[in-house]
Amino acid sequence: MTINRREFIKANAIAAAAAVAGVSVPAVASNLITSSDITKLKWDKAACRFCGTGCSVNVGVMDGKVVATHGDIKSPVNKGLSCVKGYFLSKIMYGKDRLTTPLLRMTNGKYDKEGEFTPISWDQAFNVMAEKANDALKKDGPEALGMFGSGQWTVQEGYAAVKLMKAGFRTNNIDPNARHCMASAVGGFMRTFGIDEPMGCYDDLEAADAFVLWGSNMAEMHPILWTRLTDRRLSAPHVKVAVLSTFEHRSFDLADNGMIFTPQTDLAILNYIANYIIQTGRVNKDFVSKHTNFRLGETDIGYGLRPEHPLEQKAKNNGKTKGSSTPIDFDEYAKFVSTYTVESVSKLSGVPEHKLKELAEMYADPKIKVTSFWTMGFNQHTRGVWANNLVYNIHLLTGKISTPGNSPFSLTGQPSACGTAREVGTFSHRLPADMVVKNPKHRAIAEKIWDLPEGTIPAKPGYHAVLQNRMLKDGKLNFYWVQCNNNMQAAANINEEAYPGYRNPKNFIVVSDPYPTVTAQAADLILPTAMWVEKEGMYGNAERRTQSWYQMVEAPEGAKSDMWQVVEFSKRFKVEDVWPEELIAKKPEVRGKTLFDVLYKDASVGKFPLSEIPEDRLNDESRDFGFYIQKGLFEEYASFGRGHAHDLAPYDRYHQERGLRWPVVDGKETKWRFKEGSDPYVKPGSDWDFYGHKDGRARIFALPYEPAAESPDEEYDLWLSTGRVLEHWHSGSMTQRVPELYKAMPDALVYMHPDDAKKRNMRRGDLVKLISRRGEVQTRVETRGRNKPPIGLVYMPWFDASRLVNKVTLDATDPLSKETDYKKCAIKIVKV
Amino acid sequence: MKNILMIGWRTLTKPSGYYSLGVLVIGGFIAGIIFWGGFNTALEVTNTEKFCISCHEMENNVYEELKTTIHFSNRSGVRATCPDCHVPHNWTDKIARKMKASKEVWGAIFGTINTREKFLVHRKRLAQNEWERLKANDSLECRNCHNFDYMDFTEQSERASYQHSTALASGEKTCIDCHKGIAHQLPDMKGVEGW
Amino acid sequence: MKNLNLAAIASLLVLAVSPIMYSLNANAADKETVNSVATLRDATPIDVQKEPNIIPKVINKDIKQGRNYPMQPPVIPHTTRSYEVNKNNNKCMSCHSRHRTEKSQAPMVSVTHYMDRDGNFLAEVSPRRYFCNQCHVTQLDAEPLVENTFVDMHTLMKQKTTSAKEH
Repeated sequence: MTINRREFIKANAIAAAAAVAGVSVPAVASNLITSSDITKLKWDKAACRFCGTGCSVNVGVMDGKVVATHGDIKSPVNKGLSCVKGYFLSKIMYGKDRLTTPLLRMTNGKYDKEGEFTPISWDQAFNVMAEKANDALKKDGPEALGMFGSGQWTVQEGYAAVKLMKAGFRTNNIDPNARHCMASAVGGFMRTFGIDEPMGCYDDLEAADAFVLWGSNMAEMHPILWTRLTDRRLSAPHVKVAVLSTFEHRSFDLADNGMIFTPQTDLAILNYIANYIIQTGRVNKDFVSKHTNFRLGETDIGYGLRPEHPLEQKAKNNGKTKGSSTPIDFDEYAKFVSTYTVESVSKLSGVPEHKLKELAEMYADPKIKVTSFWTMGFNQHTRGVWANNLVYNIHLLTGKISTPGNSPFSLTGQPSACGTAREVGTFSHRLPADMVVKNPKHRAIAEKIWDLPEGTIPAKPGYHAVLQNRMLKDGKLNFYWVQCNNNMQAAANINEEAYPGYRNPKNFIVVSDPYPTVTAQAADLILPTAMWVEKEGMYGNAERRTQSWYQMVEAPEGAKSDMWQVVEFSKRFKVEDVWPEELIAKKPEVRGKTLFDVLYKDASVGKFPLSEIPEDRLNDESRDFGFYIQKGLFEEYASFGRGHAHDLAPYDRYHQERGLRWPVVDGKETKWRFKEGSDPYVKPGSDWDFYGHKDGRARIFALPYEPAAESPDEEYDLWLSTGRVLEHWHSGSMTQRVPELYKAMPDALVYMHPDDAKKRNMRRGDLVKLISRRGEVQTRVETRGRNKPPIGLVYMPWFDASRLVNKVTLDATDPLSKETDYKKCAIKIVKV
Repeated sequence: MKNILMIGWRTLTKPSGYYSLGVLVIGGFIAGIIFWGGFNTALEVTNTEKFCISCHEMENNVYEELKTTIHFSNRSGVRATCPDCHVPHNWTDKIARKMKASKEVWGAIFGTINTREKFLVHRKRLAQNEWERLKANDSLECRNCHNFDYMDFTEQSERASYQHSTALASGEKTCIDCHKGIAHQLPDMKGVEGW
Repeated sequence: MKNLNLAAIASLLVLAVSPIMYSLNANAADKETVNSVATLRDATPIDVQKEPNIIPKVINKDIKQGRNYPMQPPVIPHTTRSYEVNKNNNKCMSCHSRHRTEKSQAPMVSVTHYMDRDGNFLAEVSPRRYFCNQCHVTQLDAEPLVENTFVDMHTLMKQKTTSAKEH
C-alpha cells in the first residue's frame, strides 16, 4: 500500500474534519484492504493441469488473472489437498517467455528449413501449413500426413483432432504421447477383459487391507493418491504396504515389505505369486470356473525395434501372430507356472525368499483385500502388456476384483490419458469408445455418427508414436503436427530417430505449445497456444472420472487453443482437396464445402447455439466459430459410448459436478464395474460379468519371463532407468517456469550408489557422461537424496530440458502395445 | 607329553634357583610388554571399521545407511568411522564396552540380527543402548571431535547457534538429545523424548 | 510491472497496426522472441549440450519466504538433509507439531493439517498430511532460468485502491 504525500495529507485532513464532526470515516489508508468489492476473488473449479490423479482445484481470478489456486474441498478425489505442483498452478501460465505469435523458420522473408524463427501472422501460418499439407497429400497421399497429440488435450481437443485426421484427411497417422505412458495398460485391459480402463475406483484406497505398488513411485508421481494410501495405512494399523521397484525411492518410506528386483524379473515374480496361490490351494475355484478361462500366449515376440535390428531378426514370432493365444485348461496353466518356484525366482530377481513369500501370501490369503497399483514400471516395459495380464491373473485366480478394496489398478500419468487418449481414441488404431479402425463394423458406426459416406475412414492402422519418428526419419511422413506435448524431450533415442526425423529436409514440422520447448526448437513452424483455464475443456482421470471447467481468463493476445487451431485449420480445405471423387460421389452434397463445414459446423457438433453459454462466461473459441463448440464436440463424441457401457452424462451436468465416473446410467455414476449391484451393465444373476468379452469371462494368460532388450555387459556395465520427479510435471515445460518449483529441483542429476561412484573414482557433484550405444548426456553425480539405486543401476529423471537423457535411451517397445521401455537400457558412466 | 607338562609345572611352582632376580624382573617386564602390546594390538584391530563391517550384519545394514550421511561424506573429508562413535577412547570405558561386546559376538554366532528384518525388530533396543550410553557420558564420543569450546556460533545456522548457546551451553541438553539418527536411520520413535 | 507495461504496449501496437503492417511490426518486436526459443536450454542447439551447473546448495537461512497467495504451502527455509519422514518417524513434527513449537519456536503446522478427508478435526495431525514433502519443499540456491510474471493479488488490489482514489 503506497500512498503519496499529497494523498496522505488529504486523507489526514478528511479524518481530522470527520473527527471534529464526530463521525468516523472508513480508513482506506489502513494497511489491510477490507472493502469487499476490492478483495473479492472470483472462484471456479477446474481439473488440475498435471497428472492422471485428476484432482479438482479451485481457481481464484482477479482482474482477468489467476491469482490463487488450492485443492477443492468438494472433490471426492482430493478433498481439499493439492501436491506442491498443484498448489503452484497459479503460476504456470505466467512464464515470461509465453509465445504470442506464430514463428516460422525463414530466410529473406521466405520459409526455409534452415532459416531463423521469424514472427508471422496466424493467417500466414495457416497458409504455409495448408500449402505443405496439400503438397504432401498430392505427392504421397494421406499417409504422408500425421499428427502427434496428447493425453493433456482436453476431451474436445482430442475429438476434434481425431475427426479432422481420420475423417477429414483420411489418415490414421494420429497418436497421442499417451502411447509412451499407458498403451501397455490398454493392451492388458483389452486382452484380459475386452474393455478398457480400471474396474475399480479410488474408493478402493479406503477399503483395502493391503496395497502393492508394482513399479509405481506413487509418493512422487501420484502424490494425492499417496496421501490417501498413507491415510489408510497409518490410521488402520492392520493395513500393509508392499513396494516393488528396481531402486529404492520415496514410496519405500511407507513400505512394510520393500523389494528391489533385477530389471525385467517382475514377470517371474508375478508368475511365482500365481504358482504360490495354486500350490497352497487358495485358488477361488468357484470364481475361476464361472468367470474366467485360460489362454496360452504367443512367446518370443521381439522388442518392437526396426525390422533390421538383430534382435528382431532373431525373434521367431514378431509378426502378425505376436498377440495371439490358444485356449488351455487350468491344469495346463498350473503346470506352466509351476516352474516359477520361490528358489528360482528369488535367484533370478534378487529378492529374498521370505519377502517373496510374504508378498504372495498377501494375495493368497482370502481374508486380505488387496489393491495393486502400477504405473510406468509395468507399462514402459518391452513385455508391458504381459505384465498387465499377469497381475490380472493373480486377482482373477483369487477372485479379488471389482469389489471395494480388491482392485488391480492401473494409474495414468497424464490428466486425460483416459478421458482423451483412450476414451476418445486418439490412437492410430482406435476410434471412440474402444472401437478400432480395423473392424469394418466399427468404422461403419463412426461413419454413421459422423454422417459421412461409407469408406471415409481408412482401415489400416496408422503410424504409432515411435513409428512416426522412424517414418519422419525415413521421409515417409512429411507433414507433421505436434500438439500439447514435448516429444523431442520425451521420445527415446532422439539422436537416431526423432531429431534426424524432424530436421529431415523432406518434412514440415508444426509444433503448438504455450512455451518454446525443445520440440518447438526442432520445429519449422511454432504456434502459440492457449492453456488450461484459458479455454473451456474436460479431462478424464484414472478412475473413469470426467471433469469439466469453464474458461476463466483470456489467453495472452495471439495465443489460441489447440482445438481452435485444429478447427480453424480445417477451414483451409475443401472436401475436393482431400477426398477422392468416388467418395464424394457417395455424398454429393458435401461438394464445395470445407472440412470445417462437413466435420464441425454442419455436423451435430454445430447444433448448440451460443445462447447456451452462460452470459458471464468467457468462451473465445465458441464465440469465434459461432456455436457452442465444446458442447457440440462432447455431445457428438458421447453418442459413441452411450448404451455401450461407456455412457457419459449430459454436458451441462459436468459443469455442476466434481466429475462423474462412467458409465453414468440413469444419472448415476459407476464405482465398481463388472460386479452385480454396482455396475448396471452386469447381467442379472451373474454375480460377476466381464462383458467386454462375448462369453462374459476374463482371460487368464500363461506368459513366461523373457529377458530385456538390452542388459548391462562388460562395456556398458550399468542399467539406466529414467523417470519423473515430484516437483516437475513430465518434461517440465510448465513447472520449470515456476521459480519455487525450479528452485526445489533445478537440474536432473544421475542418482547412483556411493559404491558405484567410488568404483569409478567419482563423487557427488562430479561432471560425468552417461554413454550408451546411441548417444551420451552430461550431468552431475548424486550419491544421496531421495533415490537410492542398488549397485549396478542408475536413475536419471527426464524433466530437464537442458539434459536430454533420451539421447541415451533405447527405443525398444512392447511389440503388442508399441510402448517404449524407458526403464531399461545399458550404459556406462565416465568422468568428463 | 604328560611328563613334559609336569616338568613345566614344577619349574613354575618352584622358587627359582637358577635365574637371578634381575633377569626375572626384566624378563617379566619384557614379556609383559609383549603380552600387553599384543593384547592392545588385538584390541585395536577390533576397533577398526574394517573389523566392524567384516560382519554382514554391520556392512549391509548400518554401514550402508551411514554412506549417504554427513558423517561419511562432507566438505572437509573428516569422516567418522564406526569406532569413533561406538567405542569409548578412555581405556576403562573401552574395556567395559568390549566386555559388553561379547554379547554381540554371541549374536553374530547365533544370527540374532542376520537379516535386515531381524535387525529392524531389534533396532529400537539397540539404538536405545547407544543413546543411553551417550547420554550418560555427556555425548563423549561426539565431543571427541565436536568441542563446544571451539564452536563458532556465527558460522552456524541461526537455529543451531541458538540451541547450542542456550540448551547445550547450560548443560541442560547434551548432543545426543537432539542429534539422534544423524548417522543411521531411526527406529520407531514413539515414546522417545522430544519426538 | 515493467513487463506488464511492455505487454500492454505490445498489444496496443498489434491492435493499431493494420494487417499489411504486420510483417513490419513482426520484424521490430522480435529479436527477443526469436532468441528466446528453447529458453530452458539457454538457446543451446539440440545436438549440443551445455555444461551443467554445479549442484546448488540448499538455502539454509531460516528466513521465511513470502507466499504468492494465502493457500500456498510455505517453502522450507532450512535444509532437511537426513530428516526422516517414514513410517517410523516424522522428524519435521519434532519441531513443528503443536506440542513442540514452544520449545522449538518453529511455526506450528496450520489447523487444516488436523482435518481428515471429511473435514473433521482430529486430536493429532491427520495421516493424510503425514508426508510433509509432498507440499513443502526446500529451495536450492539456483537462479530461475525464466522469469515468472505472476501478479500477486495484493498488487492488483493496491492498483485498484490507488486508481479508485484518483477518480
